[in-house]
Amino acid sequence: MDTVTHDSLPCGIEYGVVHLPKRHVISFQLRVLSGCCADPIENLGLARLVEETLDKGTTRRTGQELSDAFDAIGAGRGSGTGRETTTFTCTVLPEHFEQAVALHAELLRTPTFPDDAVTANIDLSRQELIALQDDAQGLTDKIISRQTYGDVLGRHPLGTEKTLNTITRDHLVTHWETHFQCGTMILSVAGPIEPQRVADVFQNHFDGFGSSEQSRREPLGATFSPGATHHHKDLEQQQISLCFPGVDATHDDFPAQQVLLGVLSGGMSGRLFTEVREKRGLVYWVGAWQDMPRGLGTIFLGASTTPERCDETFSTLLSEVDRLSVDLQQDEVDRAITGIVANRQTRGDGTRARCSELASDLFFFGHPIPNEEKLAKVSAVNVETVKKYLDTHPRNRLSVVTLGPRPLSQTPGAATTSEVAT
Amino acid sequence: MATDPYTVHTLDNGLTIVIESMPDVRSAAAGFLVRTGARDETPELAGISHFLEHMMFKGTPKRGWQDITIDFDKMGSSYNAFTSEDRTVYYGWVRHADIGKQLELLADMLRSTLPPEEFDMEKNVILEEIAMAKDSLEHLAFDFLQEKLFAGHPLAWPILGYDSTVTAMTRDQLWEYFQKRYAPDHMTCVVAGKVEPSEIIATIEDLCGDWKASGLADERTIPTFHEGVDQLHLERFNQQLVALTYPSISAKDPLAETAAAIATILGDDNSRFYWNIIQKGISSRAGVYHMEYTDCGALMLYGTSQPERVEQLVDAMKAEAARLCDDGVEPHELDRVKNKRRTSLAVECEAPYHRLTQLMDDMEYFGEPRSVEQMLADVDAVSVDSVRQYLDAFPINAIGHVTSAGPRDWPGAN
Repeated sequence: MDTVTHDSLPCGIEYGVVHLPKRHVISFQLRVLSGCCADPIENLGLARLVEETLDKGTTRRTGQELSDAFDAIGAGRGSGTGRETTTFTCTVLPEHFEQAVALHAELLRTPTFPDDAVTANIDLSRQELIALQDDAQGLTDKIISRQTYGDVLGRHPLGTEKTLNTITRDHLVTHWETHFQCGTMILSVAGPIEPQRVADVFQNHFDGFGSSEQSRREPLGATFSPGATHHHKDLEQQQISLCFPGVDATHDDFPAQQVLLGVLSGGMSGRLFTEVREKRGLVYWVGAWQDMPRGLGTIFLGASTTPERCDETFSTLLSEVDRLSVDLQQDEVDRAITGIVANRQTRGDGTRARCSELASDLFFFGHPIPNEEKLAKVSAVNVETVKKYLDTHPRNRLSVVTLGPRPLSQTPGAATTSEVAT
Repeated sequence: MATDPYTVHTLDNGLTIVIESMPDVRSAAAGFLVRTGARDETPELAGISHFLEHMMFKGTPKRGWQDITIDFDKMGSSYNAFTSEDRTVYYGWVRHADIGKQLELLADMLRSTLPPEEFDMEKNVILEEIAMAKDSLEHLAFDFLQEKLFAGHPLAWPILGYDSTVTAMTRDQLWEYFQKRYAPDHMTCVVAGKVEPSEIIATIEDLCGDWKASGLADERTIPTFHEGVDQLHLERFNQQLVALTYPSISAKDPLAETAAAIATILGDDNSRFYWNIIQKGISSRAGVYHMEYTDCGALMLYGTSQPERVEQLVDAMKAEAARLCDDGVEPHELDRVKNKRRTSLAVECEAPYHRLTQLMDDMEYFGEPRSVEQMLADVDAVSVDSVRQYLDAFPINAIGHVTSAGPRDWPGAN
């Protein structure tokens, strides 16, 4: 069993470390507990702009000099804005760990938000919104998220053309001052490094950065709204996305939900691939997945197909979920469990995957969960557990979105409206 | 960094086996590389290699299609297959104790019966895949680029084929192609992970030793690179994609790492394109891609923008290309590329699946596996002088080929 340490630094950063002595790289992930849900309604897109502009200049270096400094140590890095978090990830050789932390401290603590970079990144966000119009699947995801989760949790990190027009450099500075501080940061580290060294390096570089009082650990309290809409777009294929309430990662029924998704879509022997693609030839792509903001779980099913096959594809998706209560077999459950366990063990050979898993535990549970414990819960699931899950969490509230040339002929359980895709 | 030795063994029937033992991991990956792809097709059979890849999952003398997927999933394998211009690959990544079962399943799949009753259903699936590709500006643009760049040569055919060729394809045509191309002397089996090489060789000998070689000669030819300006008018998209493409070297050329370094310096993160095009707000997506095959290559500068900004984008890309040709690169730019490559190689060495794909590239391009040290030595050999040597031989400020795809017409385009 790998050693996992979990504690808080005096500066306020909550951290976890998986010590993996035989690895050749160190990965770390720093999550700031503030994402696009923190954007003021009139400035949607602000959190992502802050993330994009933080590394475009510090009090010590220009943006290009900062990027050169990261490249000088061969750092593989990235960042992203989600609904509830802004995340910074980095993978380096062990000898460059401290310098990588120092550079992250520099960009997080002393950004200058240069005017030209702010202007350019607002313009780039506008262009990305236009690019999203050419991405059928991405656009469908955006629409169903807004329909299902509403104005706060359902917003897209890019914002809108209108809200981007309102954003100024001052907004970026205020957002950064308000949301970026040690007390809102969760750090996860994996690799050949002692936990004490991680603590020393981060404490040294982040000490005094904003409030040390830990905050933003509570879910946003979002709700699920059913509905059904069609959005017209000139496409070869019709995009179908539907979702219904599930459970979040901390719920006792979560292992059963994981297995349920494995039965539906865990591998090519999953029900959706078998019934929708292999037996009926309706689609190339079909899948099921879960979306988990804190405190809320949602199960999604999706497919894309040519318009004449859309109704049959949609009805097959629904019937396959309903059929689970009737004829679920133990061998399907066993395969789903094996898939989850094996996936964890094979991909766990990668240091980045281990870091990411720890980050997820800290975010959802507030502490690390031993792999063995998680896998034991999944392994304990059987047919009856999944059926009980299906009974306890009825699928009578659906959110459905279709994007493409024509609406569905019939959408059960909800009125259909037709709109132009935006 | 891993320095594990490699084992290379060839069976009597010509099947090459490559094994990398990685004692510190818990998993293992296995895959078969079949040396056949879109460039081995005739125009009438465009898409047949990809169709065959789908049919390999449909049944063998031992297993029906559901048995195949169930057996993969019983192991919890991360598995799939893909087809490119020059190869078709089948792979599975499993816990190390399951590697024998994984090899048996992959080997069995490759002796497919191409069940006639599954043929039409799978054709539907592929036609849906083609339809999905038509909703992607990038997919349409890059297929169009290949079609024009290598016009008249098999590298011009789209990997998925066309609606017309796939619709017209018969099971007999697939069978004939399959018998000709899926012979052991056209395959390499690669295994990487926590494995014992002698056991792996014995297992593969047992599974594949009686496969019959075809003796098929390599009929691949080197394409002619076509210069010019071509446009694909696509009214229903909101953006315009433009690519400037120039002749380049093959993947096995001694300057291959130099070409990769040029692509990184010009078009990757923290690149000249990033700071002088993207961060100037001209385009949100601009990059450089080195298309490489065993016998030829092309360097493609590309970007997407709003249609009204496309001239600005092309001018900016051309200006950066000209500056590179005139002034070359700075030593510190090369150092950055090398440092990043060291880290990425260290990451890739952790996961058997990544080693599997790297070893397949090595075998296809160099005929032997390369150690991480060898790869790093090749990266270290890139210099200001090698960049100059490349750019003198393959300038990217020449005419080249211009591809435009999107709602706007391109002046002077065909």
